[in-house]
Amino acid sequence: MEIAIETDSPSPLVTLTGRFDSFETAQFREKMDQFADQSHEIRVHLGAVNFIDSSGLAELVRSMKRSREAGGDVVLCAPSQTVRVILELTRLDMAFTIRPDA
Amino acid sequence: MNSSLDPNIDKSIAYRSWADHKIDQPPEWSVVIPAYNESERVVPTVGAIAAHLCRSGTPWELIVADDGSTDDTVEVLNGLGLANMRVLVAEQNRGKGSAVRRGMQAASGNIVLFADADQSTPIEQFETLLKALDNGADVAIGSRSMEGAQVANKSATRKLFSHGLNILVRFGFGIPYQDTQCGFKMFTAPAARALFAHQLIDQFSFDLEILYLARKANMTVAEIPVEWIDAPGSTVDPAKVAVEFLKDMAVIRWNDIRGRYRGLTHDLSA
Repeated sequence: MEIAIETDSPSPLVTLTGRFDSFETAQFREKMDQFADQSHEIRVHLGAVNFIDSSGLAELVRSMKRSREAGGDVVLCAPSQTVRVILELTRLDMAFTIRPDA
Repeated sequence: MNSSLDPNIDKSIAYRSWADHKIDQPPEWSVVIPAYNESERVVPTVGAIAAHLCRSGTPWELIVADDGSTDDTVEVLNGLGLANMRVLVAEQNRGKGSAVRRGMQAASGNIVLFADADQSTPIEQFETLLKALDNGADVAIGSRSMEGAQVANKSATRKLFSHGLNILVRFGFGIPYQDTQCGFKMFTAPAARALFAHQLIDQFSFDLEILYLARKANMTVAEIPVEWIDAPGSTVDPAKVAVEFLKDMAVIRWNDIRGRYRGLTHDLSA
């Protein structure tokens, strides 16, 4: 999975591309942790994620919880249809803030 | 057969309709997932398959063949409430071959695919295999060993075992395929009916038996390079599998000598 980060707005944008499984959670956590103590939202763009497994989902939840504890949030942006369906089936669509675009 | 996805279909509406309403015609495609203690891995796989295949506009069904899971795989799946997904419950764990056979025999599509529960071969490879059946094959098998295959995260031990077994299978058993064990295989309905009615092996090496039977029945088998990711949490133990595989090669030969596969050709032409 590729991770690209844009920090030129108050709300950082983390764009993921590829398959998000347990092989990828360490690098995702490392990238997200740099924003963890900030009190604004972190946008995670999921438009080019073709699969996310339970480890990837757990890592998203962990980031979201940590960000909310600091007064911010993790917002999922433009999830691909596959990710959208997986979020719905796992009922995580109810837990996250999801936006149709970035 | 329709081997392409329809770009004019609204993906969300198509999925919602499939999820909520039982299709009102026989399925063109059936997808079978064998599952043993897969409560953590199977739901994302179901989601990925559903999201992808609903884009086609083709009526299809999903069958998850439980293999006597002792975790809550069955409850989790039934809790999804998907209108076109059936969960076949097994009282006992008998092996992957047993689960796949039950799923394949319950399938009613004209084309039947079985795919592993961990999405190790991404469902996006569906169309590649379907094209081979469109071109006249009876069976299309995913291959991680052919030139053009994209394999990620496969351990050195697993590569070594796969290579060794493949040499045995090709030269000792006369099966010419480079990868008999990829858990992503597609069949026409008549081929699936004939082959799985004669499958006797319940464990991991049932794939080998199915391909042996396909050759015996003079079916056309297309081996297709696929993308494959060694998904985390695999329950395959290479050493155990290798021993079982060797034993089952002898069992298949013995079954054939004893005439236990008799009737296969007749079934295919019936």
